[in-house]
Amino acid sequence: MARIAAFGVGKRFGATVALDGVDFDVTAGEVHALVGENGAGKSTLIRIFGGVQRADRGEIRVDGRLVHFRSPAAAFAAGIATIQQELRVVPALSVAENVMLGHLPSRGPAVDERRLRQRAGEALERLRVALDLDAPVTQLTFAERQAVTIARALSRDARVLILDEPTAALEEREVESLFQVIGRLRAEGVAILYVSHRLEEIARIADRCSVMRDGRVVAEMRRGAFVVDDLVRHMLGRELEPASHAAASPGEVVLRSPELELRRGAITGLAGLLGSGTSSLLRRLFSPPARAIRKGIGLVPGERAASLVQGHSVRDNIVLPSLRRFGWFARMDDRAADAVARELIAALDIRPGDPNAPVGSLSGGNQQKVVLARWLAARVGVLLMDEPTQGIDVAAKAQIHRLMREFAAGGGAVLFASSELRELVELSERIVAMRRGHVAATLERGRCGEREVREAIA
Amino acid sequence: MKRVDVLVGQIPLATLLVLGATMSVLSEHFLTPLNLSNVLVQSAVISVVAMGMTFVILAGGFDLSVGSTVALAGCVAAAVMMQAGIVAGVGAGVAIGALVGALNGFVVTVLRVNPFITTLGTMVLVRGAVFLFSDSQQVPIEGSLPQGFIDFGVERFLGIHWLVWVPVVLLAALSWVLGKTPYGRAVYATGGNREAAYLSGIRTGWIVASTYVWSGALAGVAGVMLASRLQSGQPTAGEFYELTAIAAVVLGGAALHGGEGRLYKTVIGVFIMVVLGNGLNLLNVDSHWQRVAVGLVIIAAAAADQLRHRR
Repeated sequence: MARIAAFGVGKRFGATVALDGVDFDVTAGEVHALVGENGAGKSTLIRIFGGVQRADRGEIRVDGRLVHFRSPAAAFAAGIATIQQELRVVPALSVAENVMLGHLPSRGPAVDERRLRQRAGEALERLRVALDLDAPVTQLTFAERQAVTIARALSRDARVLILDEPTAALEEREVESLFQVIGRLRAEGVAILYVSHRLEEIARIADRCSVMRDGRVVAEMRRGAFVVDDLVRHMLGRELEPASHAAASPGEVVLRSPELELRRGAITGLAGLLGSGTSSLLRRLFSPPARAIRKGIGLVPGERAASLVQGHSVRDNIVLPSLRRFGWFARMDDRAADAVARELIAALDIRPGDPNAPVGSLSGGNQQKVVLARWLAARVGVLLMDEPTQGIDVAAKAQIHRLMREFAAGGGAVLFASSELRELVELSERIVAMRRGHVAATLERGRCGEREVREAIA
Repeated sequence: MKRVDVLVGQIPLATLLVLGATMSVLSEHFLTPLNLSNVLVQSAVISVVAMGMTFVILAGGFDLSVGSTVALAGCVAAAVMMQAGIVAGVGAGVAIGALVGALNGFVVTVLRVNPFITTLGTMVLVRGAVFLFSDSQQVPIEGSLPQGFIDFGVERFLGIHWLVWVPVVLLAALSWVLGKTPYGRAVYATGGNREAAYLSGIRTGWIVASTYVWSGALAGVAGVMLASRLQSGQPTAGEFYELTAIAAVVLGGAALHGGEGRLYKTVIGVFIMVVLGNGLNLLNVDSHWQRVAVGLVIIAAAAADQLRHRR
């Protein structure tokens, strides 16, 4: 029987239909993957399962019983735990305290330290994750913190585990150990709902995969019955055009640092594990920002939250780095700014196409295009990009790749860091591999496949 | 969605109109030329302070020192005026205000001290400095300020007090600065997301510091206006002005975390505060109850700010 199931669930936000009669379930001991483009309704569905939002119509049943969650706490109490992308850990507390957060064992008014450590240890043991129980959680890597939040769910006897993009910030090795954890929990009978943009992963670990589009489940396939291309076709409702390879011959050097040099017309990839120094190298090349921009350099940072003013309009975000050109206390030419914004919205296919729309209302992929648009508006010659396609859907990712190629073909230089080896190998003329803050190897196109890059950064 | 936003944006004005209508029903004295003129004059000084506060809050900061700065600017302006004439006096008052603002800006951006604590410190420090400077007496102790300066606090132009023209002109000029210049956009962007603004090449440290200088200088202008109205510099002047100004900014619908808000709505917020106080006075409400009412209004406005951003 289904552990958790949705029947005909609908949800509207104003005029937008987020969910339009969704049937979906996860049974015990199963990994059911949920895929779809941004805005397809995946997030809304898992928020309803997790008690964050309530459905307008339809039913949610847990073990066959009708439920109405009034809060995330109610869903959690019913054994449904959601592990978000932004992990909920309290930095000031220890590993053990974070595992047992919300139900610290007590003896009288005081926390029972012995039972706290014992029960937290048991939960981590179930995951076969060895962590120092007394260590402050701030000392942990992202993957370890993720394990802490999963252990927290287990300590509360979660029988449904919802994982939202769990591998987005993990290195390949860490992905493997997460998959082992998932495998163990599946064997124990936990129902796992797995949301991800990484279709290769889903083909590997999912027992079942459902595809959402425009608020509906448009396809449901069993393990072995689907390949990645099928998923993409269902997500988009059409075929994805293959990317074209138009390798321009690289021109003069436009940016030189001790680590590398960037040439006009070339895309350079930056490979490295988390903490290997790729992000800090990009920041260093872009420091201080005001001077770097004057020299024609633009940075697309790893966290979109760090690059956009969410409450402000698409137009204001696009012209932000170009303000200097208008003269600080001169009258700003609104019509010129509007024209620049409209032109780039059209060129980059940013949706919705309204320059006055608040940027926070756009999907992740479209927000990323806005970040790109602002550097095109500022007419930079060098683009530094940190994980430019992380967490965005397949179609938007293909568009970003095309824009990077076009930028290079137009005489620009691109340096982009990515944890996705395939993306690096496909786009780059040359890949600079980093390890512990240093350049470990430089690989030319044609002489590097995913395996070579993996070896260079390990 | 959009229509809702437009309606929410007009809440400050609607509040003011409802408040005004209520007061004119409850008291026959409210809607008289004399009383309305009083409301305008009472609003004038605090409006100037609140406009400066809007700059600081838009950029994501906070300024508690403006009340003390009003007093300091008034006393310094009066003292200099006795020696060197009106123009020098006014200039000195505004300059000393800008200097306090620059000090705040330096501590907040270079030493990276929390704005609340920084300006709490300067609030106390400046108030102490005023009492030292004036020897705890009004300035000047004997004699009187130049007649032209005193006339400015009493006389009218086109039927409206000169004092009221000051915020009118400032509102027009500063709205232009905030709304129409790239500098203004940079202030909004810095308050909206400082990291994003910094990575877009905006020198966010300078932008933040500059808003404190605006706030200080405008508190200086307000101090000079108040000295003209009181016909002296008073070391005790401007008490609680910082609270009224912050309340006005919040009532005007600006976001306390920065990046959202309009200057003219702050002025509407000032009017809400002044009309409330004026109306309760006319209705002979005990002054202690008035404080309770004002406190409730401030909390209600801040709660509305939270609700609006949770949507």
